[in-house]
Amino acid sequence: MTALSFADITDDDVRAVRQSHPQAFGDPVMRMVRIASWTIVIGYLLYSFHLFEFAKIFDSSERAWRLVSRIFYWQDMASWHYDQIYVGIAQTVAMAFLGTFLGTIFALGIGFLAAKNTMPFGVIRHAVRRLLDVFRGIDGVVWGLVFVRAVGLGPLAGVLAIWISDVGNLSKLYSEAIENIDRKQVEGVRATGADPARIIRYGYLPQIFPVFLSLSLYSFESSTRSATILGLVGAGGVGMIIIERFRAGMFDQVAFVVLNILIVIAVIDWGSGLIRKRFIGERGH
Amino acid sequence: MPPIQPGQDPVALFEAHRAEIRRQKLWINLLLLGGFVAMLLWSIDVSRFWPDRLAAGVPRIFEYFGSVLPSFQWDLLFETRNAEGRFPPGSIGFWYNDFWKYLALIWETILMAITATLIATALSVVLSFLAARNLTPAPWVSTAARRFLEFCRGVPEILFALIFVFAVGIGPLAGILAITIHATGALGKLFAEVNENASMKPVDGLTAVGGTWAQRMRYGVLPQVLPNFTSYALWRFEINVRASAVVGFVGAGGIGAELNHVISFYSDDRVTAVLLLVVLTVTAIDLMSERARHALIGKEALK
Repeated sequence: MTALSFADITDDDVRAVRQSHPQAFGDPVMRMVRIASWTIVIGYLLYSFHLFEFAKIFDSSERAWRLVSRIFYWQDMASWHYDQIYVGIAQTVAMAFLGTFLGTIFALGIGFLAAKNTMPFGVIRHAVRRLLDVFRGIDGVVWGLVFVRAVGLGPLAGVLAIWISDVGNLSKLYSEAIENIDRKQVEGVRATGADPARIIRYGYLPQIFPVFLSLSLYSFESSTRSATILGLVGAGGVGMIIIERFRAGMFDQVAFVVLNILIVIAVIDWGSGLIRKRFIGERGH
Repeated sequence: MPPIQPGQDPVALFEAHRAEIRRQKLWINLLLLGGFVAMLLWSIDVSRFWPDRLAAGVPRIFEYFGSVLPSFQWDLLFETRNAEGRFPPGSIGFWYNDFWKYLALIWETILMAITATLIATALSVVLSFLAARNLTPAPWVSTAARRFLEFCRGVPEILFALIFVFAVGIGPLAGILAITIHATGALGKLFAEVNENASMKPVDGLTAVGGTWAQRMRYGVLPQVLPNFTSYALWRFEINVRASAVVGFVGAGGIGAELNHVISFYSDDRVTAVLLLVVLTVTAIDLMSERARHALIGKEALK
């Protein structure tokens, strides 16, 4: 028997196989859907390239070059006012820490109000959740600007902005953690005739403390990131230095500041990893 | 715990051992608590969160929020334009006088987020195959791709926006580029993690029949990871909508510029008008994308 080659296969053969094994050739409807969705995506992209004037990228080479070369060519490093930079970074970390701490304290209460198993009144629960949606739906920078308008320039506005975003985020995550706890321990404590405060202390807290701690640590990390840019709207911290020196065209100093912030954030990541390991163990969140 | 000697009381030994462990733990916990309190006091001092400033500031917060709330008059609530073509104060129409302008900007914001998400997804799919340790063509490529992604997600969007506004000028393009870069960094990392969990069997099969690297990725890995990729891309889209509402603060298009303008120059009901629209948009998109993601993952679970 000679080996089959592609030349031996006729159109009739193909048609016969198509008829006997329609699945092997793919669903024509699905193929049409796929082609249509690709067409829509590519069509949309072409439209938006036109709408948003992507051609401007190619006109910008001179300014972009000036910017990039300045970022990598550091000059006059003696006159960079490092004290301002490091005070700014310290202030950023302090704002994030304080904001997260206050946010955690508030979320500890609000989380229980937003969880199904601890808040039996649906009206209150939903009202609390919608309020939290508003806290989360508005970005930290916007809150920063709002609080700058309310209490004036400076880190107080930044702390309040971080606090309100963290209350929104943490309360939601806390309430989810509370909803996921094991009922048995709570019922055991309740069976001894404990009052509600003791039920929370001995029934809920031992189960949720590790989760809460872990969430708050993550929140501190991400708040440090967002605190960096709060200064762009005048809410204190290193962002004020960044925008000031950016506007003055000192891109090398901006690059230096950003590099320092990235290092500080890496250190905080590492430190919170250590704390998490101590209280939650290796397998933790 | 030392082995029990004959004649020793095992319970007493256990209690002594337990007390010792508790003592050790107590010291470390006290030390951590001390560190925590010190950090707290330091941050209160550095961020000037002092009682007198708080006492002065907190009433002003309530004052401010009171002044930006719309004041409705119930009998005029649904009043239409009067003879001079204006809405009477106290009506919803007065509150949302610039509604169509806001809506156009919200639309631009959403389009910016869609464009940025699409480009970022395409870029991060390619980068994630290079960055995944099990799929990368060469180890140094993986390291380089990882460092690049780390840089992209390490720098906040709004800083990139600042840079691009300088490079390509004021307008939505700068915002799109900034969000694209940041989202590429975040998505690339998540995609790479998905890739590292993919089964290598189809890849080995394609290698055996002589598939090139690109073909192995396209036919061996992509079908496995596509549902997860889509789900992550949708999740990122939610975040990008929030981001594109903010990049306008530095002139990079979208509703952010209007938000900045309104909050900076007025303290009346215009502030809540724009903020409410932003919150509604963000929440609506969150809900829709959450539905879509659940549908995707649900389909996966049924397989």
